[in-house]
Amino acid sequence: MVSVAITKRYPGFTLDVRWEADRSVVGLFGPSGAGKTLTLQCLAGLVTPDAGTIVVDGRVFFDAAAGVNLPPQRRRIGYVFQGYALFPHLSVEDNVAFGLHGLPRAERRRRTGDVLERLGLAALARRFPRGLSGGQRQRVALGRALAIDPALLLLDEPLSALDAPLRRALRDELRETLSGLGTAAVVVTHDVTEAYRLADRIVVYEDGRVIQSAPRAQLLWQPASEAVARIMGLANVLHGTVLKSTPERIQIGWRGQTLEAVNSPTRSYLPAPGSPIAFFVRPEYVRLIRKDRGAPDAAHHMNVMAARIVGEADFGTVWALRLRLDAPGEPAQGDFDLEVEVPHLVYEILEIERDRRWQLSIHRGSIHVLPA
Amino acid sequence: MDLFPLALSLRVALIATALTLLLGIPVALLLARRRFPGRNLLEAVVVLPLVLPPTVLGYYLLLLIGRRGPVGAALAAAGLELAFTWRAAVLAAAVGSIALVIKSAQAGFESVDHQLEQAARTLGRSEWSVFWSVTLPLAWRAVLAGAVLAFCRALGEFGITLMVAGNIPGRTQTLPLAIYDRVQAYQMDEANALALIALGVVVVLVFGLSRLARLRY
Repeated sequence: MVSVAITKRYPGFTLDVRWEADRSVVGLFGPSGAGKTLTLQCLAGLVTPDAGTIVVDGRVFFDAAAGVNLPPQRRRIGYVFQGYALFPHLSVEDNVAFGLHGLPRAERRRRTGDVLERLGLAALARRFPRGLSGGQRQRVALGRALAIDPALLLLDEPLSALDAPLRRALRDELRETLSGLGTAAVVVTHDVTEAYRLADRIVVYEDGRVIQSAPRAQLLWQPASEAVARIMGLANVLHGTVLKSTPERIQIGWRGQTLEAVNSPTRSYLPAPGSPIAFFVRPEYVRLIRKDRGAPDAAHHMNVMAARIVGEADFGTVWALRLRLDAPGEPAQGDFDLEVEVPHLVYEILEIERDRRWQLSIHRGSIHVLPA
Repeated sequence: MDLFPLALSLRVALIATALTLLLGIPVALLLARRRFPGRNLLEAVVVLPLVLPPTVLGYYLLLLIGRRGPVGAALAAAGLELAFTWRAAVLAAAVGSIALVIKSAQAGFESVDHQLEQAARTLGRSEWSVFWSVTLPLAWRAVLAGAVLAFCRALGEFGITLMVAGNIPGRTQTLPLAIYDRVQAYQMDEANALALIALGVVVVLVFGLSRLARLRY
């Protein structure tokens, strides 16, 4: 159990965060400069917060009111730094053994050997960091942190120093290692996919504050606010006006259309008619209506709109289309209203390359309301 | 030929270098790693011996350690004579060269990635252990370079030494003072021999230093 509630003030920046997590992997996600690394430094005892408490597995690391502040040496935290911070003058073996200097020689050798073996580093034991690849360095840094049998593992952008192809492979490898350990871990990342792949729970940071803390699936499907949706890089974050709201449905006026959206019953968000509302539509959930199957009918198609394609980009397996509604007025996102994603196969079958005018529909369950 | 000045100079420079390392490394570490009030003042004081005329430095030092000076009086009461002894020559050499150790070591410590020291702390190492196992092993080349420069500077120290230790043959006459004396007395052969010895010692040291600087991890 990790419980963090801290404040740290700097000129021009204030960190004020509060989150909790059980024995699993927590992802701190957000843009650079949001205070994620600073939180790790506070957890490790390298930076002292101005106020608050930090408790890990019942051990109080920091409690400003009670005057408790354990030095980093006594926190037993495995910290994998961004860029890894391997000791350049020590071999792989000596790097891994660095945190075990208080132990008898035999015990130290046994534990170092175990870690090297487990992470597949045994063959590199006598090499020096400068001669290692990025992926090998990452494993040495992880091994050095794991050797002290940490109460909590901290990883700061563990994949950012790697090349793109390697990144994906190592992300999955790291996920395996972390879930195999059973040690609680905190992973900092500014990449939403990385956060989703590595963490069980994701804490979203913005400008020194936590704007959402949720299990990863919930975050992806129910961002708590427009700010979260934007930080996650969601496409089609849109603004409309509430026409009607009930615990089941919300009617939204947008670009001259009346859209119907499902109101999540757990939230029972009931904005007053006439108030502004933000919502998002996943590009892969917008349907283009086939012209060879007869006219659209209300039973199968909700929220039907007419639009034309004003831009497109090929992403290898999918096409991203930019559509502008036929409705008069300024488009919602610059020169287009909606981004729509279609798989290559669909693009070819529907002959989208040739045919630029489409009717589209969005299921009410695919319009996600973002509470203000 | 009397080799006493050479022996004295080597002894003085060696002890002075040891002193500057002992005092200079903590100051360098402080300047490289901590922000504190008066830091700028300390940095200015550190370079003062490099920029002040040696005779001025020697003059103030003499006021301090002379028999009537505050330090000199205290030492005299404890039965220790400092002014115009070989110990004063050590003091003069140390004062003249400590800035070289501090500046070089400070640059060396500043070039050590702070994160490596942080990593060592999270791995349970005390501040003392962090210094000996991370900071110094990564900065030793700069510290050594500073020590070699300080040694050479101490070997050549003239002005401050003359003021506080005098130029007493067989007691406080160091190599540079001896060379000056020989030239004054038109004993050019002896002056030449002593100068060549000084040149040889310094060239060997500086050449060795440049070899060391090429070692890399």
